Amino acid sequence: MTHPTPSRGRRRAPTRMERAAGRAAALQKPRVVLALLLLLALTCVLLLDGYLRAEVGGDQRVRTGAGSGDVPDKVLDGGPILTFRGGRATSVSVPAKTIALTFDDGPDPTWTPKVLEILRKYDIPGTFFLVGSMVSRHPGIVRTMVDQGNEVGIHTFTHIDLSYQSDARVKREMEQTQLALAGAAGITTTLFRAPYSSETDAIDNYSWPVYKKLGADGYTSVFVDTDSDDWKRPGVSKIIKWATPKDGKGAAVLFHDAGGERSQTVAALPRYIEKMRAKGYTFTTVSGVMGQRNATGAAGAPRDGTPADGTAGASDLSGLQAAHHTATGTTRYEGRALIAAVAVAEWTVPALSALLIVVGVAVMGRFAMMLALARRHHRQRNRRRFGWGPPVTRPVSVIVPAYNEKECIAGTLRSLARSTHPIEIIVVDDGSTDGTAEIAESLGLPNVRVVRQRNAGKPAALNNGVRHASHDIVVMMDGDTVFEPDTVRQLVQPFADPEVGAVAGNAKVGNRDTVIGAWQHIEYVMGFNLDRRMYDLLRCMPTIPGAIGAFRREAVLGVGGMSDDTLAEDTDITIALHRAGRRVVYQEHARAWTEAPGSLGQLWSQRYRWSYGTMQALWKHRKSLTDRGPSGRFGRVGMPLVVLFQIVTPLFAPLIDVFTVYSMVFIDLRAALLAWLAVLGVQLLCAAYAFRLDREKYRYLLMMPLQQLAYRQLMYLVLIHSSITALTGGRLRWQKLKRTGEVGTAAGVG
Amino acid sequence: MFVDTSGRRSKVLRRIGVLVGVVCLAYAGVLGAAFMGWGTSLNPSSLLPFAGGGSGQAPDGFGPRDGIGRQAGPPGGTPSAAPSGTAAPSPSSPSPSPSSPSPSSPSAYAAAN
Repeated sequence: MTHPTPSRGRRRAPTRMERAAGRAAALQKPRVVLALLLLLALTCVLLLDGYLRAEVGGDQRVRTGAGSGDVPDKVLDGGPILTFRGGRATSVSVPAKTIALTFDDGPDPTWTPKVLEILRKYDIPGTFFLVGSMVSRHPGIVRTMVDQGNEVGIHTFTHIDLSYQSDARVKREMEQTQLALAGAAGITTTLFRAPYSSETDAIDNYSWPVYKKLGADGYTSVFVDTDSDDWKRPGVSKIIKWATPKDGKGAAVLFHDAGGERSQTVAALPRYIEKMRAKGYTFTTVSGVMGQRNATGAAGAPRDGTPADGTAGASDLSGLQAAHHTATGTTRYEGRALIAAVAVAEWTVPALSALLIVVGVAVMGRFAMMLALARRHHRQRNRRRFGWGPPVTRPVSVIVPAYNEKECIAGTLRSLARSTHPIEIIVVDDGSTDGTAEIAESLGLPNVRVVRQRNAGKPAALNNGVRHASHDIVVMMDGDTVFEPDTVRQLVQPFADPEVGAVAGNAKVGNRDTVIGAWQHIEYVMGFNLDRRMYDLLRCMPTIPGAIGAFRREAVLGVGGMSDDTLAEDTDITIALHRAGRRVVYQEHARAWTEAPGSLGQLWSQRYRWSYGTMQALWKHRKSLTDRGPSGRFGRVGMPLVVLFQIVTPLFAPLIDVFTVYSMVFIDLRAALLAWLAVLGVQLLCAAYAFRLDREKYRYLLMMPLQQLAYRQLMYLVLIHSSITALTGGRLRWQKLKRTGEVGTAAGVG
Repeated sequence: MFVDTSGRRSKVLRRIGVLVGVVCLAYAGVLGAAFMGWGTSLNPSSLLPFAGGGSGQAPDGFGPRDGIGRQAGPPGGTPSAAPSGTAAPSPSSPSPSPSSPSPSSPSAYAAAN
């Protein structure tokens, strides 16, 4: 989706870059380790986020209608507070004229603070059964809740029906919630309420073992006497009616402060409290109820609850929170670490999602822009009446820099000899050791001049060639590139327009019948037919390919010739020409056949050099951002486009992959797959259009889905690698590609 | 361009890299430990001085006699007295109890969430 545009043919080795690749190589390993660690952390963030939202490990099952034959009747008919002290089930009921307000599913950032405010206003305590994931996401609310004198209990970490879960999962759910509480409020608790539980008579044979097990661990399970059913949102008066126990009985009353829209609960609560107070009720927590029961012993009617009278002192307050225990030591620190980790995830995931949306929109926008501009370019340049001016017929110089090109040089020169345009051929032998120069001379072709130089790199060879050129237009090509007879003529026609300073030709992959060749073929066709046409119309083409380009000699000399400041001398000089106010155009009909790297290793080193060189060239010309005139225009139009689409968006590509895989595995395989296919479809469409413009065979597009799974990753890894090399200041060694010399012109290519 | 002959930049970046790596590793470690419950013992029974302690809160605080005794008579009658209970504490018939859970509540509750 975001692979860098292929922009050039191949380059030859400048010798100065051969030193000190050692440091870069040494860094390689730590880089890989760091990348894997970053991937690990990102996966953790995503998994945590998914776990908190019950996308990962979520379980929607809720048991209904199971039998309760195994549950003792005394428990079924007993009070709502169930303990297992000493291994024996003990039910505690709420004393008469006493209400234990309980709130489930919180904390919720919207509704819980409102509920807390009401409780604070009436100075009564409540008992909140908290969902651990929500605690970890909103620790501040829990801290306030506890500081205010409310009691908290565990409502599991992810709000699942525990009767379906293994002992290990139940244990994890409890401990994770304890940890979240320890991190949020510095406490742990002994109270528990099972999700989807209600009155004690609803305990069934599957949930009973869970309560027993948790009871043996020391937990007190809390059920409900009176359910307000506020989650049904039946209206304030019904909530109050349903929440009111009959005949002055005491009750543990269930409300919800989270899990949905709770405005009715918030509206009903003050009225309910006032109504119950008017009836002579007092309010307490679950521990408050237990405390009263203790104080009154086994006897029937309890003394009226002192803790809830509002005159409660510190000791009473602690009695209301007797289920709390201060978290200490590792528990406290691990809890805080968990809260911090959740906070990181809570920030990271939305930030990354937003970034990815921006990147996605940018990439799609680029596709749309490319399609529109490519179409316009194609129509404009292929109109019947279109012409650059009077035909250019004067002879031109063709410069062929060659370094150890014995396999290819003969084919290259023979193809030039068939040129339909009058040319002078200057072969600059850059100190070859394989007899390239001798082969070139032995061919006996007319108009071929061989210039020898000590090995000094491709830019020097090109400059040498420009010095020897006798014509005002110079064509530059690679020693392994093959031209069609018409190529030079087509390539130089735009020079009829005096504005045009340089022309980029259309490089084609010759060896396209291997998988890796087909991938590069697709990439080249898209890069030349979409990117380059777009850049032509926007007048900010970043690169004239080294494989085929034509320049006005004085323009090249005007910007100081080719420079070896960067590894991408073609990008460098193209940008320099733009900055000098020269126009650079794309001539689609001038085709050059080039041999693409045939192995992954060679492809890697080629692209590594390209992306590193592009970054160098952009950095070298960074001042154009603030320049005036044509230079500033390139700096503010071309530069951002290249930086955004050849560097920034590819750097985000791995993130896209991680998110895609994550959503396929954990969220929704079908939806993720469909999204992936949709993106692939868009790319296929663009590629097909590019193929149509170039009249290429569509069958190579069959390789495109596979390209998304291997080639794309290779491309962004290369980019990341070269970015890091650039950052660390390591040096890059030039590696010459192995050639087979098998590339011919169209005739030899399927 | 970009080449740093002094090697200082690469050293600084390497340190940053090590730092980032350690942070990443720590993050994964924290989550792993928190998820699996390593390094903490958070069961109330391990936090409370129930059986042995006897300080502060009396071990018989909310003892069996208080609760069920009040409601259901003699404590000896509780059927689920088995210390680490197997799931069938009483010889009563396995047929579903008439007081089975109200079916609407849990399912609708699930929908509400």
